[in-house]
Amino acid sequence: MNQKTMTFLLFGSFLFLTANSRASSDVSLAEVDFDHSVENIKSGAQVAMDVCRLCHEFKYIKYRNLLEIGFNKDEVDVLRGDMPLNTSILSTTKPEIASKLFGMMPPDLSLMAKARRGGARYIYTLLTSYSMDAEEHVDNKLFPGIKMPDPFAYAIRTDDVRQKELDQRIENVSVFLQWTSDPKAKERRRTGYYVIAYLIVLTFLFYLLKRKVWRTLK
Amino acid sequence: MSKLLNWVDARFPLSEFVKQDLTGYPTPRNLSYWWNFGFLAGFVLVLQVVSGLFLAMHYKPDASLAFESIEHIMREVNYGWLIRYIHSTGASAFFAVIFIHMARTLYYGSYRAPRELMWWTGQGLLLLLMATAFFGYLLPWGQMSYWGAQVITNLFRATPFFGDEIVIWLRGGFSIGDATLTRFFVLHYFFPFLIIGLVLIHLVALHTVKSSNPSGINLAAKDNIPFHPYFTAKDLYGLGVFLIVFCFFVFFSPEFFIEADNNIPANPLKTPAHIVPEWYFLPFYAILRSIPDLLGGVVAMGLSVVIFAAMPFLDRSHIPGGARYRPVYRILFYIFVLDFAVLTYVGAVPPSGSLVVIGQVATFIYFALFALLPFISKAEEKWLCKRGLPAEVEELLKSKSSPDKFNCPL
Amino acid sequence: MSDEDSKDPKESGRRHFLETVTGVVAGAGVCGAAWPFISSMNPTTDVLAKSTSEVELGDIAVGETKTVDWQGKPVFILHRTPEQISEVRNDQSAQTKDPEQDEKRVQKPQWLVVVGLCTHLGCVPLRKDKGWLCPCHGSFYDDSGRVLRGPAPKNLILPPYEFLSDNKILIGKVEEQS
Repeated sequence: MNQKTMTFLLFGSFLFLTANSRASSDVSLAEVDFDHSVENIKSGAQVAMDVCRLCHEFKYIKYRNLLEIGFNKDEVDVLRGDMPLNTSILSTTKPEIASKLFGMMPPDLSLMAKARRGGARYIYTLLTSYSMDAEEHVDNKLFPGIKMPDPFAYAIRTDDVRQKELDQRIENVSVFLQWTSDPKAKERRRTGYYVIAYLIVLTFLFYLLKRKVWRTLK
Repeated sequence: MSKLLNWVDARFPLSEFVKQDLTGYPTPRNLSYWWNFGFLAGFVLVLQVVSGLFLAMHYKPDASLAFESIEHIMREVNYGWLIRYIHSTGASAFFAVIFIHMARTLYYGSYRAPRELMWWTGQGLLLLLMATAFFGYLLPWGQMSYWGAQVITNLFRATPFFGDEIVIWLRGGFSIGDATLTRFFVLHYFFPFLIIGLVLIHLVALHTVKSSNPSGINLAAKDNIPFHPYFTAKDLYGLGVFLIVFCFFVFFSPEFFIEADNNIPANPLKTPAHIVPEWYFLPFYAILRSIPDLLGGVVAMGLSVVIFAAMPFLDRSHIPGGARYRPVYRILFYIFVLDFAVLTYVGAVPPSGSLVVIGQVATFIYFALFALLPFISKAEEKWLCKRGLPAEVEELLKSKSSPDKFNCPL
Repeated sequence: MSDEDSKDPKESGRRHFLETVTGVVAGAGVCGAAWPFISSMNPTTDVLAKSTSEVELGDIAVGETKTVDWQGKPVFILHRTPEQISEVRNDQSAQTKDPEQDEKRVQKPQWLVVVGLCTHLGCVPLRKDKGWLCPCHGSFYDDSGRVLRGPAPKNLILPPYEFLSDNKILIGKVEEQS
């Protein structure tokens, strides 16, 4: 075995071990091929405003941010009531009442997707993991003993049509929460393509220059 | 223009400095790409200082505002997301570059005479870098920040007699709090000044003893080439490759180096289920955990970092060229790198059953390699001398132009 | 480097070209990379979102002024009496430094809206029975916000504003959100 293969193998194993140590704690989350289109984010936002916002806050998302995901001014005006555009989206239930109801303050949702390994996949799996046992007791398989009551009544879904509809709603909410946790993701990736393309050109030029300069050494 | 330059040169050795230490600095022509990492470390240092400076214009070192101010940077500040991700990815890049830089030094035996001071200032830089990274990790005030700082400051409880008092003094309170955050911010801002100072000393030492090279034998003057344009071109090419990898993480996987739990604001009443330090601390953390005694663990962890400084004493062989011409040392080097990787893995996963044993074995191997090195290196030297040095070395040493002499001590 | 190059002028020319191209591309990259950092010092999006203020005029009695915050600056809103209006409109010759017709300074005669910062060095003028007096260097403005005397070079600045209804104005330009 020559030196280069050895080095390669060692650094490879190093990377493998490090990367693996992180992946291993991902408990089986649902494999969903999310569609992160603006339309889906917007539908998810509508569901979130109708359902999640009852108890949860979106501290880091302001009403004006909704304009970035396809809401128009009138739709935002309906949602915000007389709150200024530049205020955080807060829950419709008073926090004190919500914490009395559930024994804890429902967590802020704006960063939730980033605060859980798996992001949108975690949220999707959580919301579709409610089920009912023989004694009609509802619990969550991913998060047993969760204090949040089944928000979409997923455990008591009746037929396939209803399930499909719920799955779609939950998928949209997951995509929306992914967006709230990282609203600059799209801009970031778009910038990234240009930057990497530029760097490849630049590096190639540096390579040519290096070769040309070193060729004078004989 | 030349008039101005003459005016300056009469008062300050500007042209001389540029000629001797920048453009004309004599550099061995046979340096491989492994020698690019010193320059890269300098580049990342500048990147961190600049991005950190701009982050500090928006960050608020106050326990009730810190977490929010990071989100403010990520969402409201123009390109705040980019600057923050450069800084957070830059921390990992810094350690990656430094680890490779150190591995190169170990592999090629560059720590040996006359470069001991380079190795020791480098060791100092590693310690400063670790401290700076540790202070900086508290600043986002997330759960991992908080509990990481809690656990690490608690290590000082192992101090004899004054353990508890020292921990309270370090934190400025009975637990990590606002006072801790403020002082960590100040220190995180201040330590880079020390780093820059020590880097300058590192460079002055380098320009006194000159760069080592893969052969391990100092080359004759005719085999040195001016730094510019040869190594400026080579360093820039390396920088380009580095930036492609770096920007891939910044733009496409910036959260790879950030624990999910750190997106939850610090909560002094609830520890995350699984605390892990940043990846660059994992091997040392694994050593800490492998020893079932607080003081013992702390001592072992500290020793595992500073033991590198002993390398010039531990390696007693005079055969040039580090691992390149020393088969036994080469094997030890590879065992060490593999052991380091295993410790990284062990440090990252929750301690359980067989992993605890693996961690302890790896810790033992880690120290055993250093402990046995004096004997192995001496024995290896004897063996190589008896067997005869590789033809390449013989040739280099015999060539009248090399300033190095080496005679087998037999 | 020139000594090696001089052997082959063609080769040296090619290298010179490559150096120039690389230099230009790299230089452009450095400038591009500097932009996000420079831009990060500009007002943040939440500051920009606060750049307009809605003001209720109903509670300002005739003859009273109200000071409101707009972009962190004081804005004086004076509900002028008919006497005040006729005074500033009749005696338009009194001020000479920065002559301006009062009609051009208001949208509705009874409402004067001006930025309450002295155009000299930015102190906040004090309301007097008639007009404003800057405490810093004694510039005096009339009830149209026009400078009558003192070192101030210009009349009080008019902010952009529009009437949302008879009793409500929006100060600042509304940004078109797309």
